[in-house]
Amino acid sequence: MIGGLVQILFFQGLGELVSKLVVPLIPGPVIGLILLLAFLAIRKSVPQGVDVVASTLVQHLGLLFVPAAVGVVLFWPQLKAQAVPVAAALVVSVMLTVAVPALLLRMMAGDEGDGK
Amino acid sequence: MESNPSEIQVIWVYLSGSPLLALFLTLAAYHVGVVAYEKSGRNPVVNPVAIAVALVAVAITLIDMPYAKYFDGAQFVHFLLGTATVSLAVPIYRGLAGLGSRIIPLLVAQLAGGATSIISAVSIAALLGATPEVVGGFYAKSVTAPIGMGIAERLNVSPTLTAVFAVCTGILGAILGRFVLDFVGSKAWWQRGFALGIAAHGIGTSRAFSVNKEAGTYASLGMGLNGVIGAVLIPIAVGYFR
Repeated sequence: MIGGLVQILFFQGLGELVSKLVVPLIPGPVIGLILLLAFLAIRKSVPQGVDVVASTLVQHLGLLFVPAAVGVVLFWPQLKAQAVPVAAALVVSVMLTVAVPALLLRMMAGDEGDGK
Repeated sequence: MESNPSEIQVIWVYLSGSPLLALFLTLAAYHVGVVAYEKSGRNPVVNPVAIAVALVAVAITLIDMPYAKYFDGAQFVHFLLGTATVSLAVPIYRGLAGLGSRIIPLLVAQLAGGATSIISAVSIAALLGATPEVVGGFYAKSVTAPIGMGIAERLNVSPTLTAVFAVCTGILGAILGRFVLDFVGSKAWWQRGFALGIAAHGIGTSRAFSVNKEAGTYASLGMGLNGVIGAVLIPIAVGYFR
């Protein structure tokens, strides 16, 4: 497990480095993700330690953005004053964002595959 | 024996100064959220993240702890976001393996879905009179929160609002998704899952997994692709338009 953590932290560090030096527009961890993905594709399998650490972190992803999301207390008065535009944007946008890819996939691939 | 108030004060000052209190609050609140979620039969309305955020927000308000001080302690949890983002490579790798001829339709659907998300949310919020600061929070709201917050930082918009809108989007998508999918006549599990992963990222993905395994796998692929491609394209698109 520690070995897996070392490997993932290594790719995170590498990603930060590439982000700083080469492509400052893309966040370091995303570059780390792409580099790890390339590593896995070349290796053609997931090292067991990496699998254990990655599964644990991804499973509890929600916990990790609690500290940042609690910052909502700072925005509370603003959000309350703008509740209507915020709620409308959230609800309508998520419905459209489900509908558009689903419709496109159906047009391109039909109903093939297991279905409900 | 009478307790000495100044002694309690000393202990309190010590506790609230160390990261322990903030870490404890964060983990305990999330634990309560997870237990409630499991007890409800994994009802998407009972979202563990939303519960945790509400509990911590109430707690730090009650004990009069400034947000900056709370974050100072909780930043150890926050740091792991980057590590978790890198870890997403594993489910994406598994999802990509054995995709075959579906890859092109999936990529087209992802690009269209990502564009729909940002254009619809930003234009609706702006048209209805939201302030530029709040509108900025919508840029990356359909991208999984760890990546979305990274994108927000690069764009100089609030990562906090992005995270809050992302959580709300995830919950709404998990609740409304099936009705929208039925309405547009989507039948194949892989298509339903993928659409939900794009729109409602992690929360939609766990919803998809609880309905059908294939839907869940494609949802995590949709979430991952949306995150990676969004991280590249959203900053370029926003930079171009503003």
